[in-house]
Amino acid sequence: MNKLKELNLKGHLLTAISYLIPIVCGAGFLIAIGMGFGGESQEELVQGQFSLWDALATMGGTALGLLPVVIAAGISYSIAEKPGIAPGFVIGLTANVIGAGFIGGILGGFLSGYLALAVLKYLKVPKWAKGLMPTLIVPFVTSIIGGLIMVYIIGAPVAALTSLLTNFLENLGSSSLLVFGGVIGILSGVDYGGPINKTVFAFVLTLQAEGINGPITALQLVNTATPVGFGLAYFLAKLFRKNIYTPVEVETLKSAVPMGFVNIVEGVIPIVMNDIIRAVVATAIGGAAGGAVSMSLGADATVPFGGVLMLPTMSNPWAGVAGLLVNIIVTALVLALIKKHKSEEQILGTEDKGEEDEEDIELDDIKVT
Amino acid sequence: MKIVGVAACTVGIAHTYIAQEKLEGAAKKAGHEISMETQGTIGTENELSAEQIAEADIVILATDVKLNNRERFDGKRIIEVATDIAVKSPNKLVKKAEEVLAQKQ
Repeated sequence: MNKLKELNLKGHLLTAISYLIPIVCGAGFLIAIGMGFGGESQEELVQGQFSLWDALATMGGTALGLLPVVIAAGISYSIAEKPGIAPGFVIGLTANVIGAGFIGGILGGFLSGYLALAVLKYLKVPKWAKGLMPTLIVPFVTSIIGGLIMVYIIGAPVAALTSLLTNFLENLGSSSLLVFGGVIGILSGVDYGGPINKTVFAFVLTLQAEGINGPITALQLVNTATPVGFGLAYFLAKLFRKNIYTPVEVETLKSAVPMGFVNIVEGVIPIVMNDIIRAVVATAIGGAAGGAVSMSLGADATVPFGGVLMLPTMSNPWAGVAGLLVNIIVTALVLALIKKHKSEEQILGTEDKGEEDEEDIELDDIKVT
Repeated sequence: MKIVGVAACTVGIAHTYIAQEKLEGAAKKAGHEISMETQGTIGTENELSAEQIAEADIVILATDVKLNNRERFDGKRIIEVATDIAVKSPNKLVKKAEEVLAQKQ
């Protein structure tokens, strides 16, 4: 177990995802706007035969198609630093052409990174060839070994596994869809864009690459609805004559809610941190409800990001609207009900939690060197 | 004691900065000097100088991802945790740093 922990597989994956997110966001917006205005993502832009919207959709679509490559290069870089980048690209592209997709990209990234490390460590070259090491030997040797492993060993089973998973999900009955959507909703909500959310994101993005759009739609609608729900809770609580936020928190909401509409959930984190259990409970219940509604009604955005901008790309936008509304209202209602009323003193005085109230730190979570 | 540290989370827009803020607050409350660098999506901010690092008694790294220029801290006492630990339990983390340092001496 300790050995496995030292490898820090999750850390490498998260590092790669941190490079991936801005591309998903930027490209997601491009394709969402393009498709929202009737454009289509095309294989090739032939002069004179496309509109501005086609161009936007194609820019976004092409960039999103490169995600397996980005994740492979990112993981490989995280493991082997700069020498990992070049073979990461080659092996990631190989994963793409062999149909191993996003899972192939992830595996390819680890393969590439550790191979590059091994080449650097074990391949001894004479002094005159030192300069060739980073420019030729590492990228060539790593790419040829890793690429061939991808083509002949990993590629086929991963492609088969992916299509198996795809088939299974396509044939889910309505009650399973309800549960699946609910689970995605809970998982994506509970850590507000943190590691759990991003791991689920990597998984559902894989599914979208296979043409299954429901899960990622559910996830992003939950991310969209959560901050908006926090905003609505303010007004709902007023109905019960409750003040659930401090003035600082209300200020935070003024930027968190607009950010929420375009799919960025992180804005509410400062509010969550002040009252973590109640906030997570409300988010999870709302997310489960919203995710379940979204998946069982078949909300199927073809883009992986965009918040309300995802709606026009759905074959049935009302399914998405319903999912969003249910999620927003449930989250807001639960928050308004369970959050404590803030008295005047509490609002004025800055609450600072002392050490006693903090969670204990597990020895396992700390690495001292 | 003098603490330097780096915070970096996956998305690099929220946890990074909350971890920085919480750790700074907790360390100051306990009477320590602290300087936290952030490596967010926007890039490195509040970059630590070589001097600050050389003078520091201990390094706290609150990170979920690979850090840039980590070799700067080679040979120092380092405590490494995930960002959410710094966010949830900053005071305890600072206390832990005190303990680690005391053990050494």
